[in-house]
Amino acid sequence: MKALLRFIFLFFVFLFLQVFLARNLELGMGAHLFLLPLFVMLLPFETNVFVLMGLGFMMGIIADSIMNTYGLNASSLVLFAYLRPFVFKSFTPKEGYDALKNPTLSEMGWTWFLFSYGALLLMYVFWYFLVEIFSFREFLLILRNSFFSFIFSMIVALILQLFFRKKTLS
Amino acid sequence: MQNLIAFLIRFRVFLGFLAFQTLCFFLYIQFVTYPRSVFFTGAGKVNGQLLTWENQFYHYLRLSEDNEKLQQENALLRGVTFDNYYQLQRPTLEKNDTVYQQRFRFIPVQIISAPTGQRNNYFTIDAGELQGIKKGMGVISSRGVIGVVFKVGKKYSLIKSVLTSDINIDVIVGKKQIRGILKWNGMNPRIGSITGISTDVYVPKWSEVRTQGSTGIFPKGILLGKVKAKRRMENQSLWDIDVLFKEDLRNVHEAFVINALFINEIEQLQQKIPTESIE
Repeated sequence: MKALLRFIFLFFVFLFLQVFLARNLELGMGAHLFLLPLFVMLLPFETNVFVLMGLGFMMGIIADSIMNTYGLNASSLVLFAYLRPFVFKSFTPKEGYDALKNPTLSEMGWTWFLFSYGALLLMYVFWYFLVEIFSFREFLLILRNSFFSFIFSMIVALILQLFFRKKTLS
Repeated sequence: MQNLIAFLIRFRVFLGFLAFQTLCFFLYIQFVTYPRSVFFTGAGKVNGQLLTWENQFYHYLRLSEDNEKLQQENALLRGVTFDNYYQLQRPTLEKNDTVYQQRFRFIPVQIISAPTGQRNNYFTIDAGELQGIKKGMGVISSRGVIGVVFKVGKKYSLIKSVLTSDINIDVIVGKKQIRGILKWNGMNPRIGSITGISTDVYVPKWSEVRTQGSTGIFPKGILLGKVKAKRRMENQSLWDIDVLFKEDLRNVHEAFVINALFINEIEQLQQKIPTESIE
């Protein structure tokens, strides 16, 4: 119950950060700061795929409706949620996943988080700009935007992870 | 039948994924094709209110900057008011309303959301149907063209800004008034591009780009920017011209929506142009 409330709270915090802070950042070079995928990433391991996709869709639609991007964020987040189980499966640690742990940096370690979130985020940004620009003539623009957005979003996601450090039970 | 059910169960996750994607695509189509639906956009009631609050917050951070801009414009306006000029020649003809009819009316608005990082950027303004905004009206700021009204809500509207790929504003370049079409290539929010000018025309660098006013949406001769660079297009004898916008669209907050009073007449006349081709 406590965990559920925590995730509901986080849902709105991430939306607020994305819509009212990240949107107003001037980064240049076509870079966007994507925070919403981090929320979908942080949901517990055993979450059903349909719940993941539903949450991603809801979150995306709310963000889209404020940012006038009409289904762009929703589509990308649904893709992110759909791919999450596949990526997690391919990055399973040797001893398998611990059901008590959450997919965060502090609990799963640097390597695991960098690779799995990196792979997902890469597909997310590429899909986002592919759908947004929707033309293969401007493929270089898609690649440029994806590259800089990926780097920037990754760094911010790692910094934000410091807030999710599990309090040690002493 | 059993096979079908087995198929549905086996691919249920992928089918769910497809369903969600279809919904997103449907929303996109709805946004683009039905101009009156404002529910899922920044021109909706709740979102408009949210954006207004956000705008009010950021408004405090740029008060001094806005003041400076207003002051500059005031100085300019003061320079052109007739009170400050001594009239050398008295007019022989009395000017009254039968000689000059008002052609454009300007509705002052606040831009409450102005993204510039997307491929196609739609701005939100704080005026809608109640203020007399209609689809297709032009929007300018004190330093250039902002765009064209795209969707109208009750109290808020969306603007298709000059930072969209198919904005297609007709412009004239330089003293020779060469006609061209303004587009945006998505790279830099300070720079637009003009197409449709043949390479046998000489376009000097830093020549002024102004609105042409042929569609009647914008007044003629509004300064947009200056020619920054020009290249030959590949395989075509046309210039690809870079325009440095005078207005920095990343930092624009006040604008005017233009109510063109003669637009109906112009449109009616242009509909009478015969469309059949010469055989």
